[in-house]
Amino acid sequence: MEKKMNIRTMPQEDHLLNGHGACAGCGVAVAVKNVMRILGENTTVYVPASCLLVSGGGMYPHSAFDVPFFYSAFENTGAVISGIKAGYRRQGKDVTVVGIAGDGGTFDIGLQALAGAAERNEDVIYICVDNEAYMNTGTQRSGSTPFGAWTTTTPVGKRVQGKRQFKKDLMSVVSSQDIAYAATLSIAHMNDFVQKVEKAKSKKGFRFLHIMTPCTSGWKSDPSMTYDLARMAVETGMWSLYEIEDGETRVTYRPNEMVPITEYLKLQGRFKHMSKEDIETLQGWICQKWNKRYCPAVPPLEKKEEELALNGDHCEGV
Amino acid sequence: MYEIRFHGRGGQGAVMAAQTIAEAAILEGKQAQAFPFFGAERRGAPVMAFARIDDKKICDKTQVYEPDMLVVMDESLLDIEPVAAGLKKGGCAVVNSKTAPSDLDLGIKVRCISVDATSIAIELLRAPIVNTSILGAMVRANDFVSLESVQRAIMNRFGEKLGEKAGRVNSDAAKAAYDRAREGTCRGERKIVKKNAWLPTWQETPPGVAIGKTEKAGMAVGPGSMSQNLTGTWGGANPVYDEQKCIKCQRCWFICPEGCVHRKDDDHVEFDLRYCKGCGLCAKVCAKEAITMRKKGASE
Ligand SMILES: Cc1ncc(C[n+]2csc(CCOP(=O)(O)OP(=O)(O)O)c2C)c(N)n1
Ligand code: SF4
Ligand SMILES: [Mg+2]
Repeated sequence: MEKKMNIRTMPQEDHLLNGHGACAGCGVAVAVKNVMRILGENTTVYVPASCLLVSGGGMYPHSAFDVPFFYSAFENTGAVISGIKAGYRRQGKDVTVVGIAGDGGTFDIGLQALAGAAERNEDVIYICVDNEAYMNTGTQRSGSTPFGAWTTTTPVGKRVQGKRQFKKDLMSVVSSQDIAYAATLSIAHMNDFVQKVEKAKSKKGFRFLHIMTPCTSGWKSDPSMTYDLARMAVETGMWSLYEIEDGETRVTYRPNEMVPITEYLKLQGRFKHMSKEDIETLQGWICQKWNKRYCPAVPPLEKKEEELALNGDHCEGV
Repeated sequence: MYEIRFHGRGGQGAVMAAQTIAEAAILEGKQAQAFPFFGAERRGAPVMAFARIDDKKICDKTQVYEPDMLVVMDESLLDIEPVAAGLKKGGCAVVNSKTAPSDLDLGIKVRCISVDATSIAIELLRAPIVNTSILGAMVRANDFVSLESVQRAIMNRFGEKLGEKAGRVNSDAAKAAYDRAREGTCRGERKIVKKNAWLPTWQETPPGVAIGKTEKAGMAVGPGSMSQNLTGTWGGANPVYDEQKCIKCQRCWFICPEGCVHRKDDDHVEFDLRYCKGCGLCAKVCAKEAITMRKKGASE
């Protein structure tokens, strides 16, 4: 069997060059840098309004990408990458076309163009770099912001503290269409990351990669914690790693045991106000997700205690 | 009209300082405005903020190009930015520095106030957030507003957001800086080189044609041209690498957001510190502790 690519064997040449303007420790920069290494120089990049546009796409006439780079309106990613690909097809060129949008640009404002491109099964790669809020404009809530998180539009007041809704399950929205490939990625699971990007590159048709990218400014975390946050998100069940190919879902990493969500929350300033009840609500939501993801055969139970017992042992305090 | 320009680093609170000084002026019945420089700068990058104060209505809405007062919140900016560009001859400068004013070289000889705001902030706020202490030094430099008004403005802004106690320590920090600031005249030896930005005209970019890799007016433009942006000045620490401990796993190479980690032929790594923002992720992912972060300026 062919050996899978890993971080030691992956291509080394950079196409998001240094000198970009992202914050120190930016998760988006880690993700995009490595995506670009694997996609290689025969790639055209589209980025809508987002941190990555400003910091990497740069201020005209500058850019940190050394491959052709496009920018159009915020809501258009799915449409523009379809158009770029059509242009190349017309010219008889085989170029990898990738659109890299933020969570605001994907979950909310870009969802319509994304759904259109997925339905037409356009031959493009769509990547969502998910930092769980509109960071470029100073942290406003998006459909991706988790329950309880502070943002400037879900402030912490006396009666309501942080966001009241749960994170939108975007993967099931996107994969409900028959697309070629969809996967969730984490920068803390490096070989898994590399293999999924490589697989997406090798396929034809609409490919969707959803990468969780911690953000030091918006999450109010230390720059050196970006890796730990990405890892803890998976260990606590806030994020899970799987891929969907030909309608089949395959979990690519399963944590040994569920770590209580507080271990993840305490690393970030955006959750520091959270009350005990709110944490319990969030933990309950995660337990449900966890069971659905990792033990799909088990029917949902009424009682939380039993639910936990099923996962093995963990999450006392729920 | 009294115009102030703040130079700081993203995250230091330059904008908050500008807003607070404007609020202090408004408390005294004056007119004032405060606003940041709108750019792509993130945490650690050099940033600017502006304030204007006057007795009559202010109609000017531009950036401040010829300030009466220059505020430098991070001394290291003197070496990388033309901070004193446009500073008026009779103006003054406030610099966060341990050095005496007469030993500071701003590139223009003006009245200068230096204050070790970082130490004051660490002492009183237990964090190197210098924006409130620097305000105290500003009123020491010029009493265009009184220290009392500045302290009241600090209580309003910070007290409301962070609680009364936080408001009080921040206001104490301003007072401490007012008391400890040193007055003098700075030196004017260094050359102030203004950055000249180049933008293409419509003739140079016909419709549908993008800019390729070239050089214009002494600066690179087009794809990849942001590499001329040496982001290594942003951070406060650099990695130190111990080749003996390294098992060549390449995790640091993968995780570095800046691409500072280079792989050598034998798969050991080396660091390009010209771009290192000091995030510390490489040290975090190293399982063998072959990388440690050292604060800039700290001895071996
Ligand atoms: C139609 C439109 N609305 C609003 C904006 C302003 N805007 C620019 S970037 C941005 C936030 C982007 O958030 P997200 O997509 O999550 O990317 P992030 O910056 O978090 O990476 C907003 C609201 C815009 N450019 N266009
Ligand atoms: S605000 Fe967040 S996403 Fe944007 S550059 Fe900074 S760390 Fe990255
Ligand atoms: Mg976002």
